[in-house]
Amino acid sequence: MTEAVLQLRNVTKSIGGRKIVDDLSFDIPAGEVFGFLGPNGAGKTTTIRMIVGLISMSKGEALIKGISVREHFELAMTHVGAIVENPELYKFLTGYQNLVHFARRHKGVTKERINEVVKLLGLQNRIHEKVKRYSLGMRQRLGVAQAILHRPSLLILDEPTNGLDPAGIRELRDYLRKLTREEGISVIVSSHLLSEMELMCDRVAIIQAGKLVDIRSLQEARNSIQSKIVIEAGDILAARELLSAIFDASRITLNGHLLEIAADKAAIPDITRLLVSSEIDVLGIQAAQKSLEEQFLEMTGGEMIV
Amino acid sequence: MSSLSNLIRNENVKIYRRPRTWLMIAFLVLSVALMSGIMKWDASQSVTSDWQNGLIEQNRGLQQELEQNKELSEEDKTRIASEIKLNEYYLEQDLNPDELTLWNYVSTSSSLTMLATLLTVIIAADMIAAEFTWGTIKLLLIGPASRTKIMISKYVATLGFALLLLLLTFASAYAAGGILEGFDGTSQPMISITDGGVIEESSYWLHALEKYGFSVVSMLMYVTMAFMISSAFRSASMAIAFSLLFMLVGSSLSALLSGYSWVKYLLFSNIDLTQYMEGATPLRPEMTLSFSIMILVAYYIVFQFVAWLLFTKRDVAA
Repeated sequence: MTEAVLQLRNVTKSIGGRKIVDDLSFDIPAGEVFGFLGPNGAGKTTTIRMIVGLISMSKGEALIKGISVREHFELAMTHVGAIVENPELYKFLTGYQNLVHFARRHKGVTKERINEVVKLLGLQNRIHEKVKRYSLGMRQRLGVAQAILHRPSLLILDEPTNGLDPAGIRELRDYLRKLTREEGISVIVSSHLLSEMELMCDRVAIIQAGKLVDIRSLQEARNSIQSKIVIEAGDILAARELLSAIFDASRITLNGHLLEIAADKAAIPDITRLLVSSEIDVLGIQAAQKSLEEQFLEMTGGEMIV
Repeated sequence: MSSLSNLIRNENVKIYRRPRTWLMIAFLVLSVALMSGIMKWDASQSVTSDWQNGLIEQNRGLQQELEQNKELSEEDKTRIASEIKLNEYYLEQDLNPDELTLWNYVSTSSSLTMLATLLTVIIAADMIAAEFTWGTIKLLLIGPASRTKIMISKYVATLGFALLLLLLTFASAYAAGGILEGFDGTSQPMISITDGGVIEESSYWLHALEKYGFSVVSMLMYVTMAFMISSAFRSASMAIAFSLLFMLVGSSLSALLSGYSWVKYLLFSNIDLTQYMEGATPLRPEMTLSFSIMILVAYYIVFQFVAWLLFTKRDVAA
């Protein structure tokens, strides 16, 4: 891990005595896509808006490349590009005029750079049209374009997929991939949709009621997924007794009329042979995985919206 | 970090790229044209070929009044005497005082600065609130520019628009006057008479500038007030409605309540500084020019401070 691009230190927001975000601390290293996951109202958006200065912090500190957002806002923001929800752009301006508008705020964004970004996001055909004629997907792309003009080190996306259709979501995901690869940007993205996060992120932080529940690497989570074998049999109790001879009792659970065994699918032939030779009718046998979704649901006590 | 000049350019883009702005500008220029047309038409209705005899007749009447009316005060007597003297001067110099010149148009156009103020107030009220209405405020604030800087850039752009409208009013009235009465009137002096009864020729430029100067003061105050309202409301239409309401109702409210002494502390009682010009009476007898200037400065500081506080300290949550 290299130097952290974003560091949160005990970030807290309280409104009227209620802690919306409670003592949040984590680091995001360079080049990582970091997901921010939690049910609606968990404090994801509040945290992200505190990082970019839209909402003031009650306590704590956010450092972008080691620069405090609170004390040196302008300097810290030179390293940040952001899309907050559906990017709202100036509808009476053309796409290009919007980009020029945002480019003017930064030092050293040349015309060539604007054109490069336009091409990177495939906007060149309609860039001189007024934004009010853009579809939501087009606007999302233009939003990404304005966020990366100044080659930020950190891209912040707050619920970027809200309102996008599946094709739009997929498109956005592809652009983010391309960007992290081609521009080496760290990305922090918030969402309540695990299925999206799974495809985009290297690590996810799970927060609930303003508190950090866990941070996990998705790679690790995938590796640690337990396989199980689900059996449907004529005499399920006899089957259980028979199988307890070859599997530890703790690995066998009776789930309704289904028998679940924590084992890899390589064990299926053996199990089948054993059951058939003991004249137990096998109605079904299949390998299954405990999904990430189930794992996260366990962690947040079933509140996750997926 | 963003440079202030670039931020101002951005704000200007947002003002002048909107068709609405150009409608306003066209409306203002048309109003000046209409005013000039009506002035010309009105003058053509009442024109008398024999203006010399008219003046002689008028002087005879005034002379009579002076000699026969015993109830005249000293003040009235000098005023009438001055008037007679001025008329004699016109006859001597062969100048028709009723003939319209280019400067009459410019002078009258100074009352249209009220319209320019109204239009600028709409722009000012829209300046911050519209960003909230459009939802663009988020992207605007997430940038390498502090909120104070963004606010200054918006205020400067608004003042720039105000200045543009003032110049346009002046220029179009000047052009209309020139077209209708000839541009050779530009060098014409303004003739007035002092209290001592001495005929004076002064520059019309200065006179016009003075008239415009007073309207700049009230414009600045109204625009700053609208700007504050704009940072208080997060809906553009609310901000515009309230700004216009205060502007239109304020002065009549002050006049209505002028019986109470606390009225002198209201913004609207002090905003019109022409009440201290010669021949005008202030809203309340104890009010003076320096008092009004102090009140205006105080209001200005409060407006700016409140606008700044509301814009920089509030969370942008929605």
